[in-house]
Amino acid sequence: MQSGIFHTTYRADMALRRTHAEKIRLALFLVFMLVFPFFANRYYLTLANQVGIATIGAIGLNILTGYTGQISLGQGGFMAVGAYTAGLLTARMGMPWYASTLIACLVTAAVGAIFGIPSLRLKGLYLAIATLAAQEIIIWGVTHWDAVTGGVDALVVPDPMLFGLRMNTDFRFYWVIWAIAGIAALATVNLFRTHYGRAFIAIRDQDIAAEVMGVNLFRYKLLAFAVSSFWVGMAGSLTAHYRSIVTWERFTVDVSVLYLAMIIIGGLGSVSGSFFGATFMTLLPAVLTNLGRALKSSFPFVDAIIPFVQQAAFGLVIILFLIFEPEGLRKIWKNIKDYFRLWPFSY
Amino acid sequence: MIRRSLYTLIAVVMLASLVLTACGGGQGGGENAPIKVGAIFDLTGPTSDVGTPYGEGIKAYVDWLNANGGVNGRQIDLISADYAYKVDQAEQLYTQYVQEGVVAFQGWGTGDTEALRTKIAADKIPFMSASYSANLLDMNAAPYNFLIGTTYSDQGIIAMVWAMQDWKDKGNDGTPKIAFIHHDSPFGQSPIPDMQAFADSKGIEFMTIAMPKATDFVAELAQIQQFGANYVVVHTVSSPAAVLIKDAKSQGMTDSVQFINMNWCADEIFIELAGDAAEGVVGTIPFTPPSSPVSGHEAADKWLKEHGSSLEEKGLHFTQGWWTMAVMTEGIKRTIEAGKDLTGENIKASLEGIQNFETGGVTSPISFSPTSHRGNTALKLYQVQSGKWTAISDFISAP
Repeated sequence: MQSGIFHTTYRADMALRRTHAEKIRLALFLVFMLVFPFFANRYYLTLANQVGIATIGAIGLNILTGYTGQISLGQGGFMAVGAYTAGLLTARMGMPWYASTLIACLVTAAVGAIFGIPSLRLKGLYLAIATLAAQEIIIWGVTHWDAVTGGVDALVVPDPMLFGLRMNTDFRFYWVIWAIAGIAALATVNLFRTHYGRAFIAIRDQDIAAEVMGVNLFRYKLLAFAVSSFWVGMAGSLTAHYRSIVTWERFTVDVSVLYLAMIIIGGLGSVSGSFFGATFMTLLPAVLTNLGRALKSSFPFVDAIIPFVQQAAFGLVIILFLIFEPEGLRKIWKNIKDYFRLWPFSY
Repeated sequence: MIRRSLYTLIAVVMLASLVLTACGGGQGGGENAPIKVGAIFDLTGPTSDVGTPYGEGIKAYVDWLNANGGVNGRQIDLISADYAYKVDQAEQLYTQYVQEGVVAFQGWGTGDTEALRTKIAADKIPFMSASYSANLLDMNAAPYNFLIGTTYSDQGIIAMVWAMQDWKDKGNDGTPKIAFIHHDSPFGQSPIPDMQAFADSKGIEFMTIAMPKATDFVAELAQIQQFGANYVVVHTVSSPAAVLIKDAKSQGMTDSVQFINMNWCADEIFIELAGDAAEGVVGTIPFTPPSSPVSGHEAADKWLKEHGSSLEEKGLHFTQGWWTMAVMTEGIKRTIEAGKDLTGENIKASLEGIQNFETGGVTSPISFSPTSHRGNTALKLYQVQSGKWTAISDFISAP
């Protein structure tokens, strides 16, 4: 019988997975992810792939907004940089998709760092507006810079090939997306066990105190923008290769807001929260649409109102989370775990 | 603990519904099983003002057809949902419907049409939508897209052809100066290269200008006045077009300059928003508006009146949806009559065999071929007279 989790050695305290239960849950999750594609149909695979890409993007945004405390409304724009860079390198220069993806991530990191420069002087709402400007500038750029992006035309990206196989079927790309999502999660969890990560958190909690302690604000804020944009660019370039086409309408400001909603609902400053939030926000419309279809035969009026319910649900969910569980789905998951750990004698 | 168990209950119900409905798909089509067609509509998103009547038109056509015996005795099962103009949701719905065995698909806007076109080519699903961008005519990049409306490029060129004729009819010499003011997006920019090439070939002085996101367009109109345009072709959606026309009227420009709206800003919504200022504006409209009754309106109007509405009330976008679905149905019908299996590939082949398909005067006759999916190259011009779109020309084709 235990009343909580207590560590008696530094080694145990520093471990990535601290308890047996965590290890078992992780193993079960991995087994599920490995087995899932063999039983899922194409629809479920598409949903899983969308969740995977959203998870990578949300982890990226969480590094910046959740861990470092720099609000960004430029998510859609940075994804567009990743998608267009990867798409152009592959479509125009014939570069293999894995190479173009890596370069696109680096380019996005550089672009993110440039748009991060104002963050030294701007905080909170002001920074939000500055990053909103980044979003608008980038989208204006991709739609008007005809010589490079093709402007009006959608950019068709050749199918990614590996060992003579077309990779972007839903089944094959599942492995690519989730392998990268796994790397992103592991890298980010570990990032926050280094002095870089602790500097990011120090900046979030109190930037003046951080500076007094010797954290170079300018350097670490730009670094946070760069690391964050790297993963956001990854999400963008995976989208390009997965869908074989890049259009600007996929990266509008709505996307930026959607990703902010993901990390707020999932849990700010948490990798697992990014995954929960991405899963929730991607599946919510699918669940509501299917709920509407399931109820249509018995309650015909449901069919007519479900689109509006869907719109309202989006806003309502965010408000409810802000009021009842500001720490997001991650906290709910933790509450559930605590409840069962101490069951039946919870206090 | 009530709160937690409530959460659990909601989660279980939602998951169960997802699993149940998605597992229901995939049954094979027997001889007389309903024919599944997928569709996505914008009922709540940024283009819902025109997307809603368009979607209603598609649904109503299927209901009317099924009530009248279906396609050679087989019913059409239209599976549809709102996607709020969100590309991710369009993808989710598309994959779900393909999984459930739809043989053809009705899309809506530029966003979803462009994003899906590589997948529909890979899945071999004939696709129609209300996006008439000439990019979709590339048979290598978009082999399964079919265009029912006149492309934006053709509309722009037809507007210029009409302007040249009108200029001569009014006793002027030479060629008029034409300005093209457009929505600042690929949708708005798409006809520019073709229109520029046409203007160059006829020696027309031509300028283009993008409409910013703004509450007035006085600055843009001043530029157009400075250029000295005699005709202004407007390519945007109804609400900014109405603001533009009101600004032009208040500056006294509408007396000397003729405005020509392209199809997404030449509808009933434009007249309602622009009020008196709309009077005299010309429109390139590929689908005859209900204010100019033709025989192709009758079935839809009768059906709507039986259901407590009328075509006059629903407007031209309803007609647009109705006839888009009718053309797709024609492809399905021809496939059945040829005794072939209802696959996307066969339906594509049947659609490509359609020559001069009559829509009762709603559009110029629709023709496709294996080398061209440009179904419609001609349209009539309309003018707002006493608050109604009234035909002022016969069908004019793009050269």
